[in-house]
Amino acid sequence: MNPILRGLKATYNFFAGDAILLVATAVAFVIGLLLVHALKAPNPLVAIIFVGCVVGGLALTLGRELRGRERQQ
Amino acid sequence: MMGAQWAVLVAAFLASAVEFVEAFTIVLVVGITINWRSALAGTAAAVLALVVLVGVFGTALVRYVPLDALRFVVGILLVLFGLKWLKKAILRYAGLKAMHDEEAIYEEQMAEMRARGEHHQHRVDPFGVATSFKSVLLEGLEVAFIVITFGSAANSISSAIWGALAACVLVVLVGALVRAPLQRVPENTLKFVVGIMLTSFGTFWGGEGVGISWWREDLFLPILVIFYLVVTGLLILWLRPYATPKSASLDAPGQSAEEALS
Repeated sequence: MNPILRGLKATYNFFAGDAILLVATAVAFVIGLLLVHALKAPNPLVAIIFVGCVVGGLALTLGRELRGRERQQ
Repeated sequence: MMGAQWAVLVAAFLASAVEFVEAFTIVLVVGITINWRSALAGTAAAVLALVVLVGVFGTALVRYVPLDALRFVVGILLVLFGLKWLKKAILRYAGLKAMHDEEAIYEEQMAEMRARGEHHQHRVDPFGVATSFKSVLLEGLEVAFIVITFGSAANSISSAIWGALAACVLVVLVGALVRAPLQRVPENTLKFVVGIMLTSFGTFWGGEGVGISWWREDLFLPILVIFYLVVTGLLILWLRPYATPKSASLDAPGQSAEEALS
């Protein structure tokens, strides 16, 4: 594998190692920024959506693990 | 912000304890199979590299990056890191992933060393130095990352360093006394607690960076901690019925050392 790709893969594995967690975290922050600065959404709504994205990412990745293991068995 | 300083110290201590216990197993294998001079030389070099890393990046971040911007970026990284640790801990608690077994890793590493024809010798052995250096550096990188990000965002990098150093001294002392893999350390519980702390602080600081004003400001942090504890508890309850002895052994002793160390 190309050294640059290897470096990128190692960085990804170090910080996230899981595409769902990475996407969920990115979505939480992007949506949070949009809601606060572009849509001027109420603070409690932004907080709930922000935390919901984080928790949703965790639940999704665990669900994927479960499905993967069920397929293996 | 005394509370935040203590939280940083405790998080750094617990995270470091987990990682140093894992690194200690490899250092022990090198010490017993080759010699302690090689094992300790590699360890000392890795610790020095980590101290330089924390010193350079930690100081630069605190001095040159505005706290608000720092907390936004650190928030993202801490959420990612915290979720990564939480995922592993939840899978282990639910019985879907084998518990970290230091004894099994120790045996596997010993077998690998013997297969390579490594034997006890008096001179410093480059392979032994490199092996212990690599294991301490790889495990320590996660600790360094937590110390730098957590410490700088809480404006208390010294608390994080003291927490990590205390864990290092404790593991070395206990390891020197026991001279065996430290199996009784509740690694999964420590990883779970650290995962909760990193995710909670990451959400809090990241949220502030996004522009959220948390209800009751700093007092909202314990609420976030309790919330994540409840959510992860529910996730464990959801997954537990799916655990079978087969799934728990999927990555048991036969797993590669690299995977086992993660």
